[in-house]
Amino acid sequence: MTTRYSIALTTVALVAIVFSFMDTQPAAAQTVSGEARASVPRTAGGQPDLSGIWQSFTTANWDILAHSAQPGPHSQLLGAWGAARAGRGIVEGNELPYQPWAVAKQQENYANRMVANITNDPSRFDSGDPELQCFRAGVPRANYMPFPLQIFQTPEEIIIVYEYKGAYRTIQMDSESEPPTDTWMGWSNGHWAGDTLVVDVTGFNGYTWFDRAGNFHSDALHVVERWTPLSPYHIRYEATIEDPKVFTRPWNMSFTLYKHIDPDAELIEFNCIPFVEELMYAPLGIMGK
Amino acid sequence: MCKRTSNVLRAAAIAGIAALLILPGPVAGQRRVPPSALVNPEAEEAVATARALSLRSADETFSYFEDEVDAALARAVEMVWDPERPREPSPRTPWGHPDLRGYWISATYTPLERPAELAGKPLYAIQEAIEAFQAAVLVDAAVDPATVHYDWTEFGMDNWQSPIRPNRRTALIVDPPDGQIPALTSMGRTRWEAQARRETMTSRHPTERCIVGSEGPPRLPFIQQIGESRIVQTPDHVVLITQSNSDVRIIPLGDRPQPPADVRAWLGVSRGHWEGDTLVIETTNFHEDRTWVRPRGLGGDLQLLERLTRVADDLVLYEATLTDPTTWEAPWTMEIPWPKMEPPGLFEWACHEHNYGIINVLKGAQIRAEEYEAQSQD
Repeated sequence: MTTRYSIALTTVALVAIVFSFMDTQPAAAQTVSGEARASVPRTAGGQPDLSGIWQSFTTANWDILAHSAQPGPHSQLLGAWGAARAGRGIVEGNELPYQPWAVAKQQENYANRMVANITNDPSRFDSGDPELQCFRAGVPRANYMPFPLQIFQTPEEIIIVYEYKGAYRTIQMDSESEPPTDTWMGWSNGHWAGDTLVVDVTGFNGYTWFDRAGNFHSDALHVVERWTPLSPYHIRYEATIEDPKVFTRPWNMSFTLYKHIDPDAELIEFNCIPFVEELMYAPLGIMGK
Repeated sequence: MCKRTSNVLRAAAIAGIAALLILPGPVAGQRRVPPSALVNPEAEEAVATARALSLRSADETFSYFEDEVDAALARAVEMVWDPERPREPSPRTPWGHPDLRGYWISATYTPLERPAELAGKPLYAIQEAIEAFQAAVLVDAAVDPATVHYDWTEFGMDNWQSPIRPNRRTALIVDPPDGQIPALTSMGRTRWEAQARRETMTSRHPTERCIVGSEGPPRLPFIQQIGESRIVQTPDHVVLITQSNSDVRIIPLGDRPQPPADVRAWLGVSRGHWEGDTLVIETTNFHEDRTWVRPRGLGGDLQLLERLTRVADDLVLYEATLTDPTTWEAPWTMEIPWPKMEPPGLFEWACHEHNYGIINVLKGAQIRAEEYEAQSQD
């Protein structure tokens, strides 16, 4: 490939990237200047330094698709406390390409979203929303839950710690390692494509959901994440979701992560296990007197 | 080691494990407190039944491992931890901090408190340390099948299979000099007794409930090989991740103030700074309900001071001072060498998600408690 041809292709690619931002998030692309991008901090190796505490401000944990403001469950008890904000959703085209059986399964999940069916076998994972029982959120959901996350970046690996449950994942850089077993948070291999951190995530156990609305996937889930800093304080997050057992085609989601800039900002432990023991174990009569 | 000697030591060790199983619980003197679920009044019969049902006898397990045990012992002899040996200067990170990065294991055969027969002897001679280590390895490798319900020949279950090493210290506690945890205050004793009931969810150890792992803080070594940890460093943070429960401690470096005392956390809130080659971590704001079994009687007012120093290329020295006037009459300090492990060290430990065990543990403890109450009324 000649140098000139390669530069031309790169230019096309850059234009395409800019247009793709404008398509999915016009506000972000229009308000973030080239100057802001140029001021993104860099590591000694020249890559963007994503270290810090970040949080999305979407309502996608309630429903990744567009939804109105609505009362939460048990509104006779929880009133406005349990109600949910409206949201535009984070799914490109606002449509999930479920296979026909999966449409019915999502509806069943929604109906059973508050069921905690505690058994001594894996059937316990085919009940309500895993978040209700303080289970790990998986990827991509952990990135848009209403909790901050903290990124620790080194040349060899990037660690993301999530305030929700204190769960973490390791992104191994420039690695083609295979997941040794299925897990909740998956197995992450990353590399830099220009200023974008691209992370390939596989090895999921299939027990996590996308949201409280029952949107789901299987253990064949394959997520490709793209983390692109737009400024020192904004990261554009995009993910392509592929799961041939559940969906008819890959689909995309995107949102913005905002940096916590208070000098005292830190993750504060959210260990939800003691909050769910009554819910999970009292019906079995084992809490004791 | 001579095979005959090892067989004799092993037989003695197995007898010791059986004796532990049938010893009364720590607060057996208190009439209203049921014994722990581990301490079964029918233990002799239960132990015999378990041995009869086991896939393998202790002899079979030991002979399965024998060559590997001999190799592990030969390696260990070269690696005795000697606290009197001069320390090497720590390697440095590219940004100039002491380099603690890597995978380290806190497992040890050294007891927390000095056994009575070693009173007044804080340090072994090198040869004595090796012999004590050999004896402990043989116990571990011969595993009494009564203590486990699965095939113990699965690789990676014993401490000797990790790079742990003999220790010249006869106890992990270095202060007070007698190697014993200081006396409990009355409040500490009250908490200990409340923890001893163990037939309610909230009296179970936080590790059984998957709230925190068995590796603290503080990092008291647990009985089996789940003492792996990983240290990640950046210029402004140290992250300490333990295999047990996949617990993550984020330790900001510098002079960041602690949050108000109203903010409590099961892992506490940690602040770190460098003193020469040593990472000093101060941790407070522990959760009030953090009722540890070890060290017994502890509540949420613990002030934990930890010091991590890379004393050799393949060794981090962990020192911890525990101060809590509501629990103990004096502070105390322990010292544990953490040998280096080869990566990949840690995998996801989704304890709560898969906590099938707690259901039967509690049901069993409640049945035992009822039996105990009925017996007490006879």
